[in-house]
Amino acid sequence: MALLMHSLRWLVFLLAAFILNFPIISTVVTSLKSRAEVNANAGLSIQQPTLDNFIQVLTVTDRLNIYGYLQNSLVAAMIGTILPIIICFPIAYAIARRNYGSNILFPLVINLRALPLIIFSIPLYLMYQFMGLLDTRLGLGLILAVINLPLTLLILVNGIHDVPEELDEAAKIEGASLWIILSRVVLPVCRPAVVVTFIFGFITAWNEFLFGLMLTTRDAVPMTVGASFFFSSGGGGIQWGMAAAIIIIAALPPTLLGLVMYRQISRSMLGGAVKG
Amino acid sequence: MNTRIGSQYENPILAAPMIVFLLLLLGFPSLLNIIYSFSAVGFSNIRTPEFQGLQNYQAVFNDPMFWQATRFSLKFATLTALAECGLGLFLAIFLSPLLRQRPWLLAILMMPMMVAPAMMGLMYRLVLHEFVGPLPHYLFKWFGDSPAFLSASNVFTTVFVIETLQWTPFVLLLCYMAYNAINPEIKEAATVDGARPHQLLWYIELPLILPTVAVAFFIRFIDGFRIFDNIFVLTGAGAGGSTTSLSIYIYQTFFRAGDIGKALAASVVLFVVSFLVLFIAIRVLRRGKR
Amino acid sequence: MNGTQRFRKLAAGVAIATALAGYAHAEVTVLGWPGGPEETALRAAAQAYNALPDTAADEQVSLLFFNRDGFFDKLQADMAAGTDAFDANLLATYSIGRYAPFMEPIELDPGAADVFGDTVLETMQFEGEQYGVPLDLSAHFMYYRTDLIDALLEDESAHARYSAIAEEYLGQAMAPKHPDDWTWDDYVVTSLYFTQAVNRDSPVRYGTVLQMQNLLFNMMVFHSYPRAYGADWMDADGTITVDSDAYRLPLERYKMLLDAGATPRDSLSYEFPEANAAYNSGQVAVMLQWNGAAGELMDPDNAMHAENVAVVAPPAGPEGRFTHIHGLGLGLNENARNPEGARKFLEWLSTEDAAVIYARNSGAPGLTGNALARVADDRPDLVQLGEFASSYGFVMNGGTSASALSVYEAQAQAFTGYWAGTQTLDEALRNVERAMADLLE
Repeated sequence: MALLMHSLRWLVFLLAAFILNFPIISTVVTSLKSRAEVNANAGLSIQQPTLDNFIQVLTVTDRLNIYGYLQNSLVAAMIGTILPIIICFPIAYAIARRNYGSNILFPLVINLRALPLIIFSIPLYLMYQFMGLLDTRLGLGLILAVINLPLTLLILVNGIHDVPEELDEAAKIEGASLWIILSRVVLPVCRPAVVVTFIFGFITAWNEFLFGLMLTTRDAVPMTVGASFFFSSGGGGIQWGMAAAIIIIAALPPTLLGLVMYRQISRSMLGGAVKG
Repeated sequence: MNTRIGSQYENPILAAPMIVFLLLLLGFPSLLNIIYSFSAVGFSNIRTPEFQGLQNYQAVFNDPMFWQATRFSLKFATLTALAECGLGLFLAIFLSPLLRQRPWLLAILMMPMMVAPAMMGLMYRLVLHEFVGPLPHYLFKWFGDSPAFLSASNVFTTVFVIETLQWTPFVLLLCYMAYNAINPEIKEAATVDGARPHQLLWYIELPLILPTVAVAFFIRFIDGFRIFDNIFVLTGAGAGGSTTSLSIYIYQTFFRAGDIGKALAASVVLFVVSFLVLFIAIRVLRRGKR
Repeated sequence: MNGTQRFRKLAAGVAIATALAGYAHAEVTVLGWPGGPEETALRAAAQAYNALPDTAADEQVSLLFFNRDGFFDKLQADMAAGTDAFDANLLATYSIGRYAPFMEPIELDPGAADVFGDTVLETMQFEGEQYGVPLDLSAHFMYYRTDLIDALLEDESAHARYSAIAEEYLGQAMAPKHPDDWTWDDYVVTSLYFTQAVNRDSPVRYGTVLQMQNLLFNMMVFHSYPRAYGADWMDADGTITVDSDAYRLPLERYKMLLDAGATPRDSLSYEFPEANAAYNSGQVAVMLQWNGAAGELMDPDNAMHAENVAVVAPPAGPEGRFTHIHGLGLGLNENARNPEGARKFLEWLSTEDAAVIYARNSGAPGLTGNALARVADDRPDLVQLGEFASSYGFVMNGGTSASALSVYEAQAQAFTGYWAGTQTLDEALRNVERAMADLLE
């Protein structure tokens, strides 16, 4: 019975892994095909595997600086991920523990996620122009922080909710200040929530396209925008092999980051189950 | 709950960083956008909008496309959020013993999230193509036929499945964490009391992770509602606007039609309505808790 | 990040921006279309210009390419906000009216009319002023498979089948003709004949592939058909004339082809790359497509049956033979930091020598006269392009206006709705007329 269950779990896992990742598998396969083979062989087998697509993408630096794009994305996404965590953590505590601002402020901020934020593009453009933030990593990072703010706040509030209140009560009785409670008591216990926020925030920031398009031109162009050098989604050609190669390259950093972070999650979960 | 030992300024200080940040970045843009929404403004006069009252709002309410897009977004958000939560919750609980033994398996399941949705949409243009796409290729090979994935009658289902496949991992991760954060002592106690596994699951574990599922549903609903990238790249606005979400509608009105005032009026309407919904939902939820 | 740090970063950002501005001032920055043959050609032209003895150090051209996706949306935001990140920028016929308020008219070389011809120069004009120097020209070719068409023409026994199909779908008996002599009816019947859903013996799965995605470029491809029946956006008085037989018939024929299965079932999501991929698979007989696809469709390393692919001008209608044309070109940013340098470069680009360099380096300019003769050996396709453009090229009345882009969008929205079956033809035309009346008033 136990063995049967175990095999069943494996079966479900393999099935889920295959179906969920089907487009990614196809992308990897396509990236290893020559242009002619993409047209001639639609299946998942590769007759003549080639690294040409990757080599082309990685070596045409005179026309497109993929390393520069990766750097820009990394810096901007880091700002856009860490900044909201820092500024949301205190208020998340106030909301979760004291219901402070949970009537108006909380829904107001969460609501930002429902809006297509691109409607801010023109005013932001004018403002950035004035402040000299156009086409800078900092400027892009700041707007990515805005994009990530609602989700960060929501997950942090949820995470702090799950921290038993007795913990900070105890610390308070021992005379700890609010800042000590926040940084030494609450923060360590809800680390999984912070880590999850970080993962989701980084993925969102890394994959953002429209603001990257609108607010950068030459020096701070992020990966998603630079990638579209090889294709145009409306009214132009697509070099499938190269597009696939660049998609793979663009997805590597968040994947690697994820790998590190899952360990964190697993470890903190083993470290102390606190819920309930 | 109300033991406010610290100074009375404590809460405002806690709130200040976020509020200041938002005001700095979105204060001026919000103000300008609200002015735009009451003005005749296109790309040629972004610095000199002409005030004209409620005309943009009227235009939005009279535009059948606005309502069609709203319906699309609501339907899409509800269905994808439900499917993602159902699948994600099931996988999280069912695979939990496996994932606990081998944490790296989780990384494989998280892969779909790592690809930018716009690029995902692009790849699906290849994957679903009748002649060069692997999916139709195998369907033709094995069954002699392949459905037209992006035809008028199938396109909704197709984008629904695409979105669900990409974001089920999101729910899976949240649920998996919540499920494993349940205090093992509770389970032991229940088992000692004679609870069977399905009783344990239904009466003890599920209620404990329900809040997380609710949060996950809420996030996925919002994200589904504002869906843009992958659909925009895959089908554009869709034949006759059949895959026009509210975000796509606003984007098209803004950039392609160049009617900035109308696009912003639609956004203000969206913002106000969704704020009211959230505001009420939070009150109801809190009353429920008490 | 605390306040001081943030301020420092901000200050650094400002400093970088200022430094860059100074750097950009020393030269002429030109924003081009990235990634394709247009880029290769522009690079070659810029290099040649920079090497000229009378190009001063502060007139050196430096090229800027950002990305392709969303290019025109971004450009619009840049220009509306008055950017000075580039001096000259890309311009397209259908968006010229939209960008003109942020640009300045330019002077072309006196010989430009002899190099490009008036039809092509007009693709870069708005309200009588020349806003850009024409670079690449886009027109439509009818691509067809010689092996399939020849077999059909030779095989007398197939003619009865062909005629029966014509009778069934168009209500008249017809005989196969060579694509050179096609009317649009011939195109429709040939497409049906080579469709397995209609004619089980067809050697290929589909007779044609239509690009029916809700996208403005697909409307351009479609327009060559109604134009052959005399269609226009509006008459000389500005009355919208889309609700006409000239539009109705082609719209109905497209739907007929879709419903009959003569084009892939997913055609409502097809545009340029999907259509090419379908054609490259060797399962499609004929296709109306941009001239820019010729390289891909006729490359034996890339496409099945590439050696059998030939092109002719689009079919004829009662009013003659037409191909929708639009041009890409470069114009002058109103807020340019170096307008004199940019003017000088743009004027040079319109000379015969520059056009020849551009053409020899894989560009696709629409040329005439001596310029065309000089590149004819290297680029026979440009001879065809120039010929088609000057003989059959047209731009709809209103096609360069400020709202041209939005008109195409509105038509794409309504017409694809009709093809998909969510709007009736009357509704679709009514919606288009209403939208166009607002846009073109």
